[in-house]
Amino acid sequence: MMKRLMALALLAALAALAQAEPLSKAQMVEILKGIDIRVRASGDYKALVYLEQREKDKPDVAREALVYRRDADQKLMILFTQPKTEAGKGYLRIDKNLWYYDPTVGKWERRTDRERIAGTDSRREDFDQSDLANQYDPAYLGEEKLGAYSVWHLKLTVKDGVDVAYPLVEFWIDEATGNDLKRQDFALSGRLARTSLVPKWERLYSASKKADLWYRKEIHIYDEIDKANSTLVVIKSVDLDPLDENMFTKAWLEAKSR
Amino acid sequence: MRQLFLIAFRNLIQHRRRTLMLGGAIAGVTALLVVLLCLSAGVKATMLESATTVVTGHINVAGFYKVTAGQTAPLVTDYKKVQALVERTLPDLDFVAARGRGFARLVSDQGNMQVGIASIDLAHEPKLPKVLRMREGSLDALAKPGSVLLFESQAKKLKVKTGDSLIFSVLTPRGVNNTVDVRVAGVAEDMGLLSSFSVFVPDATLRQLYQMNESTTGALLVYLKDMRRIPQDMDLLRKALSQAGYTVRDRQGKAFWMKLADINREDWTGQQLDLTSWEDEISFISWTVKAIDGITWVLTTVLLVIIAIGIMNTLWIAIRERTREIGTLRAIGMQRPMVLSMFVIEAFCLGLAGTSLGALLGTLAAAFLNSLHLAVPTGAAIFLMSSTLKFAFDPARILGGAAVITACTTLIALIPSFKAARMKPVTAMSHLG
Repeated sequence: MMKRLMALALLAALAALAQAEPLSKAQMVEILKGIDIRVRASGDYKALVYLEQREKDKPDVAREALVYRRDADQKLMILFTQPKTEAGKGYLRIDKNLWYYDPTVGKWERRTDRERIAGTDSRREDFDQSDLANQYDPAYLGEEKLGAYSVWHLKLTVKDGVDVAYPLVEFWIDEATGNDLKRQDFALSGRLARTSLVPKWERLYSASKKADLWYRKEIHIYDEIDKANSTLVVIKSVDLDPLDENMFTKAWLEAKSR
Repeated sequence: MRQLFLIAFRNLIQHRRRTLMLGGAIAGVTALLVVLLCLSAGVKATMLESATTVVTGHINVAGFYKVTAGQTAPLVTDYKKVQALVERTLPDLDFVAARGRGFARLVSDQGNMQVGIASIDLAHEPKLPKVLRMREGSLDALAKPGSVLLFESQAKKLKVKTGDSLIFSVLTPRGVNNTVDVRVAGVAEDMGLLSSFSVFVPDATLRQLYQMNESTTGALLVYLKDMRRIPQDMDLLRKALSQAGYTVRDRQGKAFWMKLADINREDWTGQQLDLTSWEDEISFISWTVKAIDGITWVLTTVLLVIIAIGIMNTLWIAIRERTREIGTLRAIGMQRPMVLSMFVIEAFCLGLAGTSLGALLGTLAAAFLNSLHLAVPTGAAIFLMSSTLKFAFDPARILGGAAVITACTTLIALIPSFKAARMKPVTAMSHLG
């Protein structure tokens, strides 16, 4: 793992020297793998997330949720804790299905794991580990300046047979750190659907991973179709201590919802 | 018997004031009942017209397709085979229209809304141009791919007019985000609740949006020549489709979109067909007709009870006034059943005259109100399925209502009439009142 990260750092340094030299496909895949590796928690993961949704002609809605992950088993659970009207609602991924639970009706609904989370502009993948290198084929669009940062501009096209929410994605990746700072998602028609800005990344040491775990501290998501809508996602805290062994179950979420 | 009618008629004439008051009350209640029945029939007719134009056929052969257990799409694959089977099976088929179905976010520069989408092929929709009333633009412009037909309230909410651009945004059956840019082809007059969340697009546009191929549609809307055959035809279709190897879901009496959450929970993939009637597809709003009918009958019953008490009291008085007459008639040989009949026939004549007049007045009042095109508040318009009050005439229901009131007024007369019939001639003749 450390070797891979060092290789990535070396790659970043070389690329910085080369400057205008376009990245090869292998280099781009390595960069994507780097993002996938650094956000993956090999052990358990728990985050307190603040979600703020803004929509035209509607009052802003703020939510708080706990995100639980066990990346080795592809487990994910999102449990809303605030406001009171949303408390107890949650999402649980079992195998390839995403289930939604609403305690007011006491029923589980099967949802597509590519739909919006709680009606905001965020998607499941904004809270989950990523698999960019396996899902997309990258293409190099150039080297650009994003504010003070030098970034690689990559265009990712979904591979055949892979189901993703957006088949075309553009990334702006910080040359110095390898972190994505901006992302644009395009619909199947080619229309820009949403823009995400990541002004802040943070990291903490993961004992199980024996390396740092990186996470996007803040994500600003802008709806590019309904331009008045936006969502702010802030990860307030991350805890990498082991979670209960049997917590990724419907019964556990239902019990927490009571 | 003729003489009994003559006596009853003369008595009614003799007590003109009493007859007018009671007859007037019966006529008033009947007129009210007729007006309310016409309103209920009007709402039902509008609902039928609106529903079978906007969202449903008389019978729908729809279906659900699941790519994975968790992703349900309202689709019928290889629909031409199903359509051929429908055409072979139903003896009184008028026509079949294949319509795509979907749900999307419709976004303008000024706003957005969730809508149900129906895709149409104008060449196979003979009813639509006759029923839709265009406010602006043209229905024919909907033949062009990339167009959309809105209803007034939607255009108002999105702040758009004919020629403006909109974006449809959806998740395809595979869960991929897709969009299609469309232009407003026209704006049609609102048709109640159903038109508040349904829009029409050309077939090609829906296919582009959902990435559907030519052999797939949302539902086959089946229109019959005789709507009374719906139950039999649904049974015929169910048998035929099952025999042809299709999995047909049990009837639930709900609109297709109300079943999606339940079906998402079921663990199967592939195609299942679903047969619904027009009433199933609007089950979530048909309570409005039931509510109007309920109010009509409650109100009529209350008024009828008041009238019944009035009739009973009047007959008590009449019997008291005519006690000696009853005694004389009994003394010269009139049997008890004849005395009973005499009073019952009097009440029947009064009831019949009152209800006939009431039915006539009610029908005229309903026709007059209908001609005024009275506007109703927006909230009520949604449930009444029309922006104006509409009255329809159902002669069977009007005659039925009048018959019920006549029967009630006659039956209530039995109680005092029995008492009159039971009088002993001697006691009656010596009565001084």
